[in-house]
Amino acid sequence: MPRIMTIWLPRWPVQRRLLEKPRLRRVPVFVCRRERRGVMTVVAWAWAAPPRGSQEGGPGQKRSNPVVKIPEGMSLAEGMAVLAQAHGSRACHIAEVDHDDPQADRMALEELARYCRRFAPIVALEDAARPECLHVDVSGTAGFFGGEGPLVRTAVWTLASRGIHARAAIADTPAAAWAAAHHTDLLHRATDLLHRAPALLQRAPARPAGRSPLPRHWRWAVVAKGESFEALAGLPAAALRLGDDVLAQLRDVGIDSIGGLVRLPRKSLTSRFDPQLSLRIAQLTGERAEPLAPPRSDELPTASHAFDTPILLRDTTADDLVALVERLVGECVAPLAGRGRGVLALQVRLERSQGADPRAACMPTVNVAPLVIDVGLFQPSTNVKHLADLVRLRMERMRMPSEIEGIAVDVVAIGETACRQQTLFESLPGAAAASGSVHGVGMLFDRLSGRLGRGAVFAPQLVADAQPEHAWAPTAPAARPAERPAARRAAPQMAAPKPPGRVASERRPLWMLPRPLVVEAVSVAPDGPPVRFRHGSETHEIEKAHGPERIETAWWRGPTVRRDYYVVETKTGARYWLFRRLRGGEWFLHGLFG
Amino acid sequence: MVTFGPLVAEQFNATRLHSGEVVSSGFEPLDRLLPAGGVRRGSLLEWLGDGEASGAMAAACAVACRLSGGMDGGGATAAPTVIVVDRQGRFYPPAVMGWLANVASNGGKEPQLVVARASSAADEAWAIDQSLRCRGVAAVLACPQSIQPTTMQRWQLAARGSQAVGLFVRPQEAGGQRSSRRQPTWAEARIAVSPLPGESLAVRRLRLTLVGGPWAGEASVEGRAVEIGIDLSRGCGLSRGGQAHGYEAGGIRMFRPPAMQPMEAVACRAS
Repeated sequence: MPRIMTIWLPRWPVQRRLLEKPRLRRVPVFVCRRERRGVMTVVAWAWAAPPRGSQEGGPGQKRSNPVVKIPEGMSLAEGMAVLAQAHGSRACHIAEVDHDDPQADRMALEELARYCRRFAPIVALEDAARPECLHVDVSGTAGFFGGEGPLVRTAVWTLASRGIHARAAIADTPAAAWAAAHHTDLLHRATDLLHRAPALLQRAPARPAGRSPLPRHWRWAVVAKGESFEALAGLPAAALRLGDDVLAQLRDVGIDSIGGLVRLPRKSLTSRFDPQLSLRIAQLTGERAEPLAPPRSDELPTASHAFDTPILLRDTTADDLVALVERLVGECVAPLAGRGRGVLALQVRLERSQGADPRAACMPTVNVAPLVIDVGLFQPSTNVKHLADLVRLRMERMRMPSEIEGIAVDVVAIGETACRQQTLFESLPGAAAASGSVHGVGMLFDRLSGRLGRGAVFAPQLVADAQPEHAWAPTAPAARPAERPAARRAAPQMAAPKPPGRVASERRPLWMLPRPLVVEAVSVAPDGPPVRFRHGSETHEIEKAHGPERIETAWWRGPTVRRDYYVVETKTGARYWLFRRLRGGEWFLHGLFG
Repeated sequence: MVTFGPLVAEQFNATRLHSGEVVSSGFEPLDRLLPAGGVRRGSLLEWLGDGEASGAMAAACAVACRLSGGMDGGGATAAPTVIVVDRQGRFYPPAVMGWLANVASNGGKEPQLVVARASSAADEAWAIDQSLRCRGVAAVLACPQSIQPTTMQRWQLAARGSQAVGLFVRPQEAGGQRSSRRQPTWAEARIAVSPLPGESLAVRRLRLTLVGGPWAGEASVEGRAVEIGIDLSRGCGLSRGGQAHGYEAGGIRMFRPPAMQPMEAVACRAS
């Protein structure tokens, strides 16, 4: 019996934008579609990191955030009104509104599908006009990950490490897995009630109306083989991917769950309801096959090499391994280079054998998941040596298996390369040399992020935020700043980006401490500037103090920040950045003018 | 005092000195202090700060902005890049981003500031080396606590190939280690930075003292000191600068490198 893992990516249009522009996590994001009369309707919306607390919350009273329900199809004006009611009018002012771009959403999802080949070789998008799910055929591959439970958990956490929120479930059919993935919370709640029903019903309070996060393990579920009906009976009928009209018909006859639907005689369903209903039930039971949609025709190249016998890496030099990777990468790059495309993301899989410990060779064999090396680039490249170097850098930082059975290289994402005319004398100044330097900078970013980590290399961008800690955000650097990777596929912009507030440079230190450091300071006036402070073992006599610069955040930023900042200069000329917390009056050292 | 013969000195200087383009640092007193009459592209500069809040980083950042402003960086297609290798994770970009915008307002392209956070000393040295090797990088700023001479020689060769300038801010007295002044260097100049009381919030006054590096005909390196004022709002020297010399090219003041005088000997202090 096949086993299908469905990975659901809720509100994918918004998630895609958050992946491209991480700074949007801190503001509400609306993806809207323009209707015929010019009315903007909401396709999807989300606020990834909403402020904590609420308007009514008193001091010391932490309340969960209110649930904001803005369904698809609601007009943007109405959606803004709902948002303002829940989070205040400022939420509407900082909201980002973007045009719907289904094609870009689909392309990004296809890219993610290629990334998910690490779990199983067959990955397909759901058959829908606006897909938000990936179907992975995990028949026989779960053993590599220690079972279906660990596999589905690994899938969710692997995507979470990339900043993608996902829910996943494994079941017998794509329809059952789809239903389970969309209602993992209901499945877990039903299981809990089943096992601990008496105690739970008496003690467990109702879930508060506010926004409280689900337990982490409720993001995934596994439906046992052959038990789809029993497990999914309590799910709503909408989990069968039925249209609104069919759901309305079912509501009219008092059926709102899959269990109630299945109890009806199947023959009567065809005559009484839309044929879609019978089709969905047949897909749920597996009577009607639901072939996984094949990948796009322009399949990205892959190359692999299987050793006749597993090789021990301790007997193999890193150069030999990288040389093999380089050959495989060359095989992948060659067809792309001819089409003017380059590699943007690469996946190298080292197929491990079970005999990791030679002494345990007599032990029962255990399947081991392949070791996956992900390489991402800031700009498309066809330079095989550069790509192999990036793989080498990653290998140097990883704990390699003791032996491997084969190597596979998959191209996960591609992009158009910038072609340039070769010059006879490269040292001549000109556009060609300039292009070369641009290329070199891009390769530098790739190398740096390959060794230091993708998040360790960034281009800071100013953010209009009064609190100094949040006044900038890291963004992906680009070899050509005008063409950021996030804007590879130009999407129509509704609103021009807001110019971030730039604070005078002389008021900001070059060194900022990760956490403000408590210092002993003395000021003459009650709320005046300090005249002396003690930092470490030294006492600094302050000659001049510039300030105060009051920085205060409001309720929508969570815990209120109220500080009076001073730029102080000691008698020796050293400059420090101190602030006094208005609540309590303690002094802190926050930065140094290094 | 250890004295080397003329041949050794010549080879020593040949590896350290080369005829790269010399660009004004943006501070005329500093230009006078530097052996080449400005900052030579493809060289290294060391800044030894007298304490953490000495202003050495501000001076280095101002010079980096100046260098990026005078760089082509890729013709009409790209802006030059300034890379900050920040191991301690304390670099605060908003303090410098206004300075880079000021470079753009003066007619150049706004340089791209890229921060690379290294988690270990080895990663930091590697990141500096890689950045210095890259064409299109105007300047590399870093604050390595200690530098091995061989590592620094590698950086110097890397910078020479790419014409990037390495600016290294270090404490004068690292805890438990010998003074940075006493350590050998492959930098074109080693400058000690001491803060001076400033006139206003927007002006930072610093005293710069040349304490190391190859310079011709100098028996004693101590005592060569200048004072500069940094306009912190724009990240450049005060506008009331002194005498103009050199020539203007591309919006920046260019200096011809002085003729290299053959050195008779190089003096190095042995600890």
